[in-house]
Amino acid sequence: MINVLYLDDESHNLTAFRAAFRRDFQVHVTTEPTEAVRILREQPIEVIISDQKMPSLSGVEFFELIMPDNPDPIRMLLTGHADIDAVIDAINKGQIYKYISKPWNEAELKSLVEEAAALYHQRKVMAREGQQLITKMDEARVLARRIHQLTSGGNPATQENHMEITDLANQIDRLLQS
Amino acid sequence: MRALEFRRLIAAGTGRSLLVLLGLIAWSASFTAQDYIGKRLETLAPQEASALIQVTDLGSSDQWVSSGKVVPYLGLSNDIQWLRLKVDPRTENGQLIEIQNAGIDELICYMICDGDIIATYERGIFHETPVDSRIGTYPSFPIPLVECGELQALFRLQSSKPLLIPMRITGPREVLRGAHERDVLFASYFGVILVMLLYNLFLFLSVGDRSYLEYSIYILMIGGTQLVLNGYAPVFGVENFPWLNLRLTHFFGVFSGLTTIVFAQNFLRLSHYVPWLHKLLNVYFVLYVVAFILAMFGLLVWSYSVINFCAGAIFFLIPGAIVTMRKGYAPARYFLIAFSVFIAAVIVFVLKDTGLIPYNQWTFFALPLGSAFEVILLSLALASRINQLKREGAKAREEQLELAQVNEKIVRDQNVVLEERVKKRTFELEEINSTMQGTLNELQSAQQQLIQSEKLASIGQLTAGIAHELNNPINFVSSSAQSLRRDFEDLNAIVEAVKSLPADDPNLQARIEDIHTLLGQLDIDFTQQEIEELLNGIEDGANRTSEIVRGLRIFSRMDGDNFIQADINELMNSTLVVLRSNLRSQSQVSANLAEDLPEFSCQPGRLNQVFMNIITNAAQATETTDLTLEEREVVVSTLMVESIGQSWIEVRIKDNGVGMDDAVKAQIFDPFFTTKPVGEGTGLGLSIVMGILRDHNAEVDVQSEVGLGTEFIIRFPI
Repeated sequence: MINVLYLDDESHNLTAFRAAFRRDFQVHVTTEPTEAVRILREQPIEVIISDQKMPSLSGVEFFELIMPDNPDPIRMLLTGHADIDAVIDAINKGQIYKYISKPWNEAELKSLVEEAAALYHQRKVMAREGQQLITKMDEARVLARRIHQLTSGGNPATQENHMEITDLANQIDRLLQS
Repeated sequence: MRALEFRRLIAAGTGRSLLVLLGLIAWSASFTAQDYIGKRLETLAPQEASALIQVTDLGSSDQWVSSGKVVPYLGLSNDIQWLRLKVDPRTENGQLIEIQNAGIDELICYMICDGDIIATYERGIFHETPVDSRIGTYPSFPIPLVECGELQALFRLQSSKPLLIPMRITGPREVLRGAHERDVLFASYFGVILVMLLYNLFLFLSVGDRSYLEYSIYILMIGGTQLVLNGYAPVFGVENFPWLNLRLTHFFGVFSGLTTIVFAQNFLRLSHYVPWLHKLLNVYFVLYVVAFILAMFGLLVWSYSVINFCAGAIFFLIPGAIVTMRKGYAPARYFLIAFSVFIAAVIVFVLKDTGLIPYNQWTFFALPLGSAFEVILLSLALASRINQLKREGAKAREEQLELAQVNEKIVRDQNVVLEERVKKRTFELEEINSTMQGTLNELQSAQQQLIQSEKLASIGQLTAGIAHELNNPINFVSSSAQSLRRDFEDLNAIVEAVKSLPADDPNLQARIEDIHTLLGQLDIDFTQQEIEELLNGIEDGANRTSEIVRGLRIFSRMDGDNFIQADINELMNSTLVVLRSNLRSQSQVSANLAEDLPEFSCQPGRLNQVFMNIITNAAQATETTDLTLEEREVVVSTLMVESIGQSWIEVRIKDNGVGMDDAVKAQIFDPFFTTKPVGEGTGLGLSIVMGILRDHNAEVDVQSEVGLGTEFIIRFPI
């Protein structure tokens, strides 16, 4: 189940949100930003939804605050009123995935959360694959360096050497194919 | 009687003075030379005479010498002069010795016959002679001859005036005739003088020119001098005052000289034309004063000498007049002629005295005649001067008139130009005015627009707040409703399962267990709790929504400018409701509203704008402090106060924000004044607030201290 964190100063919204999505997602709700930070630390949160207009700090400010420690969860901003300054701030500072206005459409919100979660996982996979690719490239580079040693001047073109070069080339080929 | 005669003569001479004068000239020319016997007279040197004490000794002295002149001149001296005439009365034509000189102060005549004084005659100022004892008319001294074969007449003479001895032996008729002739002549002369005097006095009185008065005095002095010189001093009634009588000639000499100087100075305007002469004449003036003083102290001969010397001053007047004339002063011409005539007369007079020209009635009368001419000519000169002045005046007036006309023309032209200018200016001003009116209209419309935009900004701010305020409850109400439906579906499933239980089902126990299983699966306990929460949320959302809508309804009167009865607390609450979402993140806003406040007449919509503005400012003021959200406070209170004998509804909006200094405080109600960065405020908020409060006759007091906060106190009269 997708882990969703929802931060809003209005507790009724939290109740409504949990009632709406508890059957589909693992829902975490809180009115306090500090509590939200704690949840982020303890739970594998994939999607964060925050209300923009809160008394102590705004949604954008909250996102700015948590970004250094939690760069991966997908962020979505929820607001009661379309405020162009808030939108600009959200995109520039908070790196928001989606901007949602109240009142929300339950189905739409649900699919957005799912999309966000998918994006989250896609990014995770891509990050992992990228890492694997870098590892393979490093291995290939070691092999290539050995080939370079064998083929440079000074080394006799023995059968033994030829065999080793062929073996190394096959190894690189296998690496790149995987 | 004599005086009466004289007056008659004067009266006879006052008419047509010039014609009379001309007649006189013709008449006097007909005079025959008189038979003066000067050559028969013998003189004795005064030092010789003083040696002899007895008159008879004098008579027999052998020091006598012939005078040698027809009219002997004994000079001006204090010495006693002696004259001797040897005569045989029987051979003479007449019986009277006549000396035609009134200027002899003292004359004693001793008639000596055969060495004895047989008769003595005393004449002169010191020897008052009864009028009727005189033979003939003043001023001659007729002395009767005494019967004697060899008669010696010794004359003892003394005078403070020059001693000229025109002596003749004649009969009473001739004496009388001569005296009569003189009287006529001098009466005519005096007539001329009198006419000129009166004429000039009259002119002075009518014209008011001072020079006429000076001239009148001058004439009086000249005439007086002539009269006195020729023995008419009794005219002035001085016979009984010997002291004055003796000095009268001197005084008149002095005063005529002074008046001549003054008159000449002023007439010729010497100070202007010939300053050196003016100064020189001043010296003469002083000398005349000296002569006067000498005469006062009895130094009569000295005085006379000074006067004689000073008389030379008139010779300077000729070159003075010429210079003045040359300098273009026309009246100087008359002056020159007049004085030339007079000087000519003086010359004749002097020459006659020295015997160079014969002594006769004509030469004798030369001086008065010259003087008369002078007086007349000077009169003409004066008239000319007046004419000149008049001409100059007229010319000046003409020039002034011309100038005035030119000026007038210039002024007229200027007026035309000015009118043009004024017209142009007026036109320009009207244009400017209309432009300004246009600008004013534009400004007014701009102001209206600004006020409108401020209002719109308020509404915009409001809309944002209200949208948020409304969207939250709407959000959870609608979302809760959907969740509720799902919860009900779960519950329905249970209900359906229960409903489908047949009462006689033998497997009831098993079915109940199934239902319990379903209850567990559906987590009905949680669902029940959730339903409770959702319903609470819906209820709360509905309440809040209705509260907001109610606030909005009050706020919706914002554009209404009608005064209606309204409750201040209701207004304040609605303002706070619509501001709540905005304020929540800025400050802790609390309201302390008094109960039972009366409704009062106001424009609720506009007052909402006022409160919204001030409360928003207050919240923003707390935001810029170092205080935490919990410490920032805005307190709104309403209360009832009594002041100045009146009831007021008082609204206080107090914050613990940054506060203001006096300079800022003084300007907060000025349009466009703002402490916010450019673009964040119009600066119109409080100026509009002020306008609205003024419309409500409200009193506003602002108390503020930097770092402590601000309090707005607004009082509405009720």
